[in-house]
Amino acid sequence: MASEDEINLLVIVVDVNPIWWGQQAQRETELTLSKCLDAVMVLGNAHISMARTNRLAVIASHCQDSHFLYPKKSWRAGDSGGDDACSSGDGKYELLAVANNLIAEEIRNVMSKAEVKGNSTDTFLAGSLAKPLYFTGQVIKAAEDCALQYMNFMNVIFAAQKQNILIDACVLDSESGLLQQACDITGGLYLKIPQKVALAQYLLWVFLSDSEQRSQLVLPPPAHVDYRAACFCHRNLIEIGYVCSVCLSIFCNFSPICTTCETAFKIQLPQMIKPKKKKLKQPT
Amino acid sequence: MDEEPERAKRWEGGYERTWEVLKEDESGSLKATVEEILFQSKRKRVIESHGQVRLGMMRHLHVVIDCSRSMEDQDLKPNRLTSTLKLLETFVDEYFDQNPISQLGLITTKNKRAEKLTDLAGNPKKHAAALKKAVDTVCLGEPSIYNSLNLAIQTLKHMPGHTSREILIILSSLTTCDPANICELIKTLKSLKVRVSVIGLSAEVRVCTVLTRETGGSYHVILDESHFKELLMLHVKPPPASSSSECSLIRMGFPQHTIASLTDQDAKPSFSMSHLDSSSAPGLSLGGYFCPQCHAKYTELPVECKVCGLTLVSAPHLARSFHHLFPLQAFIESPVEEFQEDRFCQACQGELKDKSIFTCPSCRSVFCVECDLFIHDLLHCCPCCIHSQSAP
Repeated sequence: MASEDEINLLVIVVDVNPIWWGQQAQRETELTLSKCLDAVMVLGNAHISMARTNRLAVIASHCQDSHFLYPKKSWRAGDSGGDDACSSGDGKYELLAVANNLIAEEIRNVMSKAEVKGNSTDTFLAGSLAKPLYFTGQVIKAAEDCALQYMNFMNVIFAAQKQNILIDACVLDSESGLLQQACDITGGLYLKIPQKVALAQYLLWVFLSDSEQRSQLVLPPPAHVDYRAACFCHRNLIEIGYVCSVCLSIFCNFSPICTTCETAFKIQLPQMIKPKKKKLKQPT
Repeated sequence: MDEEPERAKRWEGGYERTWEVLKEDESGSLKATVEEILFQSKRKRVIESHGQVRLGMMRHLHVVIDCSRSMEDQDLKPNRLTSTLKLLETFVDEYFDQNPISQLGLITTKNKRAEKLTDLAGNPKKHAAALKKAVDTVCLGEPSIYNSLNLAIQTLKHMPGHTSREILIILSSLTTCDPANICELIKTLKSLKVRVSVIGLSAEVRVCTVLTRETGGSYHVILDESHFKELLMLHVKPPPASSSSECSLIRMGFPQHTIASLTDQDAKPSFSMSHLDSSSAPGLSLGGYFCPQCHAKYTELPVECKVCGLTLVSAPHLARSFHHLFPLQAFIESPVEEFQEDRFCQACQGELKDKSIFTCPSCRSVFCVECDLFIHDLLHCCPCCIHSQSAP
């Protein structure tokens, strides 16, 4: 049981890439964005109900931006009683009602304002993970990784590891190597959901418990993480490679010049054996 | 030997009127000045950054700990030795965090001799364990700088040219007992391109000044325990590489981590090569890292394979060092009154209550003091700049 003063903050990052969700809606109608958000709200409400001092924040991660769905900026400045929130008539805990309403309203704002640029299905997780880095973070991810963000992503993961923040990932569609590494390095859980319809169940079962309770539960086994590096020239995954000592870029073949930092390397040549001069015997 | 003019000693300079720094406000309280001083000290660390300088990323560092009689002095609580060892434990953790592919070795010196505490290795646990055990050592005699440097050189001179060779001496005694002329040794150090730095616990000693000046290191004397910690942490960052260090391509292996369980059919328990010579019972384990060249098993990375000599690392280890190569620029400080718009920090969504705000030069987003420190110390990338990168 957590002590009285500890504030346990859970941050849920939801990937709301409109292109992927649009394609998803065409593929199968069982899991839509609104159902996904319902499941997220269930998890959020459950977390708040677990202890008096638990707090919640929800962030939507989009193509070009990430946006705090809950709590709102101006809400922080004022006091934390929901004065202008409508009190729901069914006796629900006020905080939960406020949270749900705010999330629903904000997501509508975000979706209506968003401009769709291009056809990419990548989302900027690095940005959205960077923001709430004093908290425990969870990521619900739909679209694929973007290789551009690798360095920023790794920076974020190492910062989280230093601060003892757990990153859990719940992946809906395609496996994500970056998120697997993030979960492995920080000590969180990575799960690819076999049945998308049961999202709420998976969220509650696997991700609701905090780090101390997890040792008591039987949870899905850790995924096999591929830690091989990708070479800078072909982006293949390699097992043995050459690393430049100046800029740490990885190459699959030996080359005399590093393409990233343009240093010329010394090539180890075999030692030249000087031909011995034979003294000619003077004919006497 | 000293052609360079030495900087003026403190007592030779003008009279420092330290009381003038403190100014009282109308009600007679010093709170504002104290806050200002704390604020400045926080910012000081962020401002110093290297820029586009080539850094020595693979480091071989020997730390020489003085265990002579003067270490029993109690001016650092509980005594100098305990305090030093505790700070060194933090140093070892930070060092391997910032320089994952580097190696560290520990040497102690007392009674006119020098002894190796741990060999040069890349595993922080061994060093931490050795430091914990060393708390019980008896401090006696005089240290010997010559012998400890000699001992360190014997391993460092075999290291490849592209790595940086460093020695850090923590010296508390004011004397040293050397069997031979230390000036000759200084010449040898220079020719081997070893950089020696000293942290003094008592006072400035001339031989250390010369030693560090000739080899290109730094010499500091501590004021108190927090200053000691600061000086130690200065050595965690990779130093600028000397122009004569060679650059080469190092062959490294990136092993896969296999996690097998008893239910797998092919799982065979095996010994880990790193535990073969340890005295605790070597355990059979199912999973681990297998060297891509010779398939020897190891439980932890980074490690050098004992069978085939290949350095084994994982990609995140190299990624940890990237932020040294691409450092984040310092943010522009400006007073908060000039800021017209909504007073919210972009990172933590909190109100901007401090005296000044920080703006990122590329994306012009605004951060508060705490977030600025967090971004520069820990995160190394601006959270809003990441968003402005356009998708391909």
